[in-house]
Amino acid sequence: MASELPASDRKVVVHLRATGDAPILKQAKFKTAGTNKFSTVIEFLRRQLHRDTLFVYVNSAFSPNPDELMIDLYNVGGICVTHNFGFDGKLVVNYACSMAWG
Amino acid sequence: MGDQSICDGSLSADDFYVAAKSLCELWQTANTTLPNWTWIPFKRIPTGISCNEGYLSLENVYHIKSSKELVSSQDPFQEEQPVDSATVVQVPSSVIHAYDFHIIYSFSYRNPVLYFHGHKYDGQPLDLDDIQKDLPEYSLKLIRESKWTFITFEEHPYLHQPWYMLHPCGTSDWMKLLQGNPSAANYLVSWLSVVGQAVGLRVPSSLTSSCFNDGSSSSIGQCVEIDPSL
Repeated sequence: MASELPASDRKVVVHLRATGDAPILKQAKFKTAGTNKFSTVIEFLRRQLHRDTLFVYVNSAFSPNPDELMIDLYNVGGICVTHNFGFDGKLVVNYACSMAWG
Repeated sequence: MGDQSICDGSLSADDFYVAAKSLCELWQTANTTLPNWTWIPFKRIPTGISCNEGYLSLENVYHIKSSKELVSSQDPFQEEQPVDSATVVQVPSSVIHAYDFHIIYSFSYRNPVLYFHGHKYDGQPLDLDDIQKDLPEYSLKLIRESKWTFITFEEHPYLHQPWYMLHPCGTSDWMKLLQGNPSAANYLVSWLSVVGQAVGLRVPSSLTSSCFNDGSSSSIGQCVEIDPSL
């Protein structure tokens, strides 16, 4: 059971989903250590898409702090999705290329 | 009808009230060290229309500048109480900045707008230079790039004093993306998760769990690992 593993050993499956005119990645599913921060994903997307400004958010619902841990984000989401995905759940990370204030 | 407007990223005035009440409740139950959001009702005179007009207020959020990093601290009084002003203060008062945040509904943009102002410990208001020192790196970059479309100095619609505000033109465009599960109750949580980062106001992660309800599913195929060194 995933819950019996120490937090440091747990992996989080991340599903990267493009929104709007953002390019779709060939490899859209990743496994990453639960101890990684959300900024790891943002940096990864920036490098892959060669974009400085990206709007990265989770579950089409909110934009997490970059220093949030992946396992925490996954666990928060896990409350609702556990019955769908079991411990093999994933974290849906959406990304868009434009984000303007004014 | 309300839901339809939420889908396009905007919010009706009535839904704003629903969203505001919901944010207050969620914030209170969230394990946060910050003060609570409170609803400040506004009564127009003469009172003809009965609607719940008002705005949300979160006051006295303290930024204490430690050696390098900004620490968002809720309560500097712990340090203040035992210390007489004539004695040595552990935290120099000049580096304590108190911020007030107001979430105000904009009838023209049909969106919430964040207004904020800051003052020093002695009550002296902070100017933009002072505020910039407290803003996250990402926001500083934005200020340099788009000076007039990010943070501007405007009249507070209810207090009629000049406050800083985050420009609302683009709000519904990015809020549209955060409506995977449109609901007025979650609107301000989603909104604040973005806006809060711009001004360094942290939204407790327990709050965002209420936004998690993505019904879509797809099978998990082959996965590779993200290598941070890529």
